[in-house]
Amino acid sequence: MEFQTGFHWYIAVYLFLAGVGAGSIVVASLADMYDRQKYLSFIKAASVIGMPLVSIGIFFLYIDLGQGMYKPWLLLLLFVNTTSAIMWGTLILTIFTILSLLYGAYNLGILDWFIKKAGFLKIFKPLAASGFMNWALIITGILTAGYTAVLLGVLKAIPFWHQTALPILFIISASSTGISGAMVVKELFFKEEAHLAKIETTHFYLIMLEILLLIGMLLIALQGVPEMKFSALALLTGEFAVEFWVFLVLLGLVVPAVVFAFVEAGKLHVSGGKLVFFELLVLAGGYFLRHLILHAGVYTQKFTDYIMIHY
Amino acid sequence: MYSADKTKKFAMAYIVDRCVDCKACMVACKAEWQIPDNDFRTHIDTGIAPAATERLSMHFLPHQCNHCDDAPCVTVCPTKASHKRADGVVDIDNRKCVGCRYCIPSCPYNARFFNNQLGVADKCTFCLPRIYDGLMPACVTTCPGRARVFGDINDPESEISKALKDAADNRYRVWTLRKDLGTEPNIYYIQK
Ligand code: SF4
Ligand code: SF4
Repeated sequence: MEFQTGFHWYIAVYLFLAGVGAGSIVVASLADMYDRQKYLSFIKAASVIGMPLVSIGIFFLYIDLGQGMYKPWLLLLLFVNTTSAIMWGTLILTIFTILSLLYGAYNLGILDWFIKKAGFLKIFKPLAASGFMNWALIITGILTAGYTAVLLGVLKAIPFWHQTALPILFIISASSTGISGAMVVKELFFKEEAHLAKIETTHFYLIMLEILLLIGMLLIALQGVPEMKFSALALLTGEFAVEFWVFLVLLGLVVPAVVFAFVEAGKLHVSGGKLVFFELLVLAGGYFLRHLILHAGVYTQKFTDYIMIHY
Repeated sequence: MYSADKTKKFAMAYIVDRCVDCKACMVACKAEWQIPDNDFRTHIDTGIAPAATERLSMHFLPHQCNHCDDAPCVTVCPTKASHKRADGVVDIDNRKCVGCRYCIPSCPYNARFFNNQLGVADKCTFCLPRIYDGLMPACVTTCPGRARVFGDINDPESEISKALKDAADNRYRVWTLRKDLGTEPNIYYIQK
């Protein structure tokens, strides 16, 4: 069996960070439209991580490029082939990064500081505060999170990735980890007494959805073409089984789901350090989700099962 | 460099029962193109015939880039560094390749690898400079069993056209890899 040389852990980091960044901004924009005052501490926390995480993610992608570092002008060529998912992604990420930068600067008061220095910048303020901005961020944020899966999904050579469920899974996971990321920042830096019950409830349901979707995808993959089955088995019982069961399933999904279920039922109250701990578990689970799906696909057995199909 | 001759369409056939797994093709290719240590542009797949067949047998199957007519690597390459030439060869322009590696998992045939020395994707080019200089690809020249047949399938007098016609006349088994994926490969497998 031969393994591929493409797509290393950098790519998993990129998919993860882009997901957390985009997810946090999408949830913050929804909360903003719903009740800005009530969720202000969450919106501010999301603004701290939104655009920066996406940018750090892009940086990881950038250092993975064989020639991008030495020949930066080649990056312009990323826009030339309209059939390439990388071209779509570059476009979406560029728009999302610019919008979320403006939105973040507005929420954190940095925009006001700049306006004092350079008055003409005030033209941006009505835009940053508008409902249009919220919608634009929700749409481009979902596209960013979804794109990280479409990038993998369009490759029919890797059947485990070539599934419509993958973008849905990544969007759900991005929203869930985005909430976690913002919660951690909120606990650490914006310690206002805020009632975020709606966000916590949403978070719980997102994790439940993620678990169901993952089970569904694996059950379907087990009945799929040989490569797909090979990928699923690599996760369930094969070379990635320990990481899959311990880091993704147990720590990343089941433990937070159980804890948040008790919180939902009013039987438990977590805050401060404990909350940060469980949110970090969700974040680690989010990373392992990408890491494992990436590797289960790349390290799959390729066409050898079909090579003698006409034999 | 070696502009494409539109009248030609290059293709290769392996007469698989002639392959003895000597790996001379792999070595010749590596030497011709100075491929980094652990990489090869062509491989020999060695294996026991799958359980689906009643007759247990061992196979030696060469493989390499199939120069697909509908090549996924060309579709996904953001920079158009990977492109399909008018003469059927799928080539990579190293000056344009940003080294994103996207084409590598896109290929159903595992034909590509990342050339760490150059920072670009790499694969078989049917030895472009050689074939325009009137030579055969290095692997074809080297193959002691003459398992590899190369040429222009638009020319009925070429060696490959003759081999395919001969296979059709004699009802030999002829197949391409993973036809189900619709990539339209241009490497033919012939078994007598
Ligand atoms: S075999 Fe792979 S690398 Fe070659 S043209 Fe087809 S998809 Fe591209
Ligand atoms: S590695 Fe090079 S040839 Fe392959 S998709 Fe990226 S830019 Fe194109």
